[in-house]
Amino acid sequence: MKILEVEQVSHLYGVGTPFRTEALKNVSVGFERGLITGVIGHTGSGKSTLVQMLNGLIRPAEGRVLLDGKDIWEKPKEIRSVRFRVGLVMQYPEYQLFDETVEKDIGYALRNQGLGQDEIRERVREVISFVGLTPDLLEKSPFDLSGGQKRRAAIAGILAMRPDVLVLDEPAAGLDPRGRREILGGLTRYRDKTGTTVILVSHSMEDMATYCDRVVVMNHGEVYAEGTTDEIFARAGELDSIGLDVPQIAHVALSLKERGIPLTGTLYTVDGVKNALLPLLKGRKTP
Amino acid sequence: MKTEMTLGQFFPGESVLHRMDPRVKILLSIAYIVAIFLCHYVLTYALMALFTLFLILISGIPFRTILRSLRPIVLILIITSIINLLMTGGEGEPLFAWKFIHIYEEGLWRAGFMAVRVILLVVSATLLLTYTTSPIALTDAIESLLTPLKWLHVPVHEFAMMMSIALRFIPTLTEETGRIMNAQKSRGSSLSTGGLITRVKALIPVIVPLFISAFQRAMDLATAMECRCYRGGKGRTRLRAYHLHFSDYFMPCLFAALIVAIVLGNKYLPDLVGWGYSL
Repeated sequence: MKILEVEQVSHLYGVGTPFRTEALKNVSVGFERGLITGVIGHTGSGKSTLVQMLNGLIRPAEGRVLLDGKDIWEKPKEIRSVRFRVGLVMQYPEYQLFDETVEKDIGYALRNQGLGQDEIRERVREVISFVGLTPDLLEKSPFDLSGGQKRRAAIAGILAMRPDVLVLDEPAAGLDPRGRREILGGLTRYRDKTGTTVILVSHSMEDMATYCDRVVVMNHGEVYAEGTTDEIFARAGELDSIGLDVPQIAHVALSLKERGIPLTGTLYTVDGVKNALLPLLKGRKTP
Repeated sequence: MKTEMTLGQFFPGESVLHRMDPRVKILLSIAYIVAIFLCHYVLTYALMALFTLFLILISGIPFRTILRSLRPIVLILIITSIINLLMTGGEGEPLFAWKFIHIYEEGLWRAGFMAVRVILLVVSATLLLTYTTSPIALTDAIESLLTPLKWLHVPVHEFAMMMSIALRFIPTLTEETGRIMNAQKSRGSSLSTGGLITRVKALIPVIVPLFISAFQRAMDLATAMECRCYRGGKGRTRLRAYHLHFSDYFMPCLFAALIVAIVLGNKYLPDLVGWGYSL
């Protein structure tokens, strides 16, 4: 079932100026409850605009955004309640830290929600374990944390709201491979534990392949393709042509198939291709 | 993100006004202001307006854009006109009288003159300076024109550098503010809802990160400048050296002729024409 839907949304920037650009063109897309959906596209494909519409930061010029089947702009004055239900982690979220201590900063959204102190304390402590921060950091100033810890604290600030849908815009941008794995892996665990719907924006096909159940491909303000990760990566050659970096292993698998090697299964992760190749190789050794 | 901001209002172009030396343009703007204040007679005002029209035409900037630059001063225009209209006494019968409101012919003229004066001032300043001169050229020119102050140990170069850096970072910080506001809105801050006090309180989560990133940027920039061996204005040569061209000599001559025409016009035209109002 779809929890969040975007219906025939179009959006323009800079109307009436020479800088007029069409960020989104008649986009319709839905996000399944409880799944991790990846949104991929290169810079300028409209994915950031789309993401900011999901929690009502941008009001679409045309079209509707539906949360549980209800238009989020039905009562514009109550858009704040939508933002608590659709938690958005913006790009480089560490720049939003401001409070005296990490604990207060993570609790900012909860105070805005009007929760009691005890509830806030409890939630903050629960949420730091998801992002991999230790309780001794809570009393520190957020500006004394390392870059990676700041990022985690900022993400924790959104998770603490317990949103029904969690949207993350390039949460691993600028992190080293280990930091990426820890943050994105943490998200998968969070989803498995809480059943939250996750929307993950990235331009890394590798991330999509590893962490996402479904993938939406954006190109020039339009939805280029949508489907399960398997379906999308079956079209690896096509994705290549619109300038997306298909994982190297998918290229390898694709050229092997072109040479007539009958590979089946998940052909875009190293493990998947290994699992597909091994039986074939074994078969050859023992004819 | 939002490309709607056109701060500095510079319109790149290739017109004579664009290509003129910015130092000459600054001096000519001053001459222009003097010329406007020299006008005392309706026909000299007309001459001034015609000349401004000529400048607009050669600048190649659309009329609509020029009109838009007048929008912020509409209120000032209306108020000055009304005050002039009501406060100017006159000889002879008032044109209109009701209770304490008396409007004389002199008042009408004066209000008209004031309005035209303010409009011409704004149009010329935007046309000669902001519309046709890039902010960088403008700071260069200010630095160059203020060079004599260096003898009084005024750090002219440093001031000019501060100005260029500030201008350079306005769009960057505007964008950053937007981003931080969106991030805090996503955490349920009430920037556009609630009473005055809630809104002011909601600004703290925006201002703190903004200051921190501004300081960070300042430090990065300082490091970058030091890496490139910046050591102030001493012995520094310029990338853009300004040379005077034909128009840089021609336009001042034109302005001088205009001022002479205005002075003579003020003196002799009223008697020659025998019509109109003179301040």
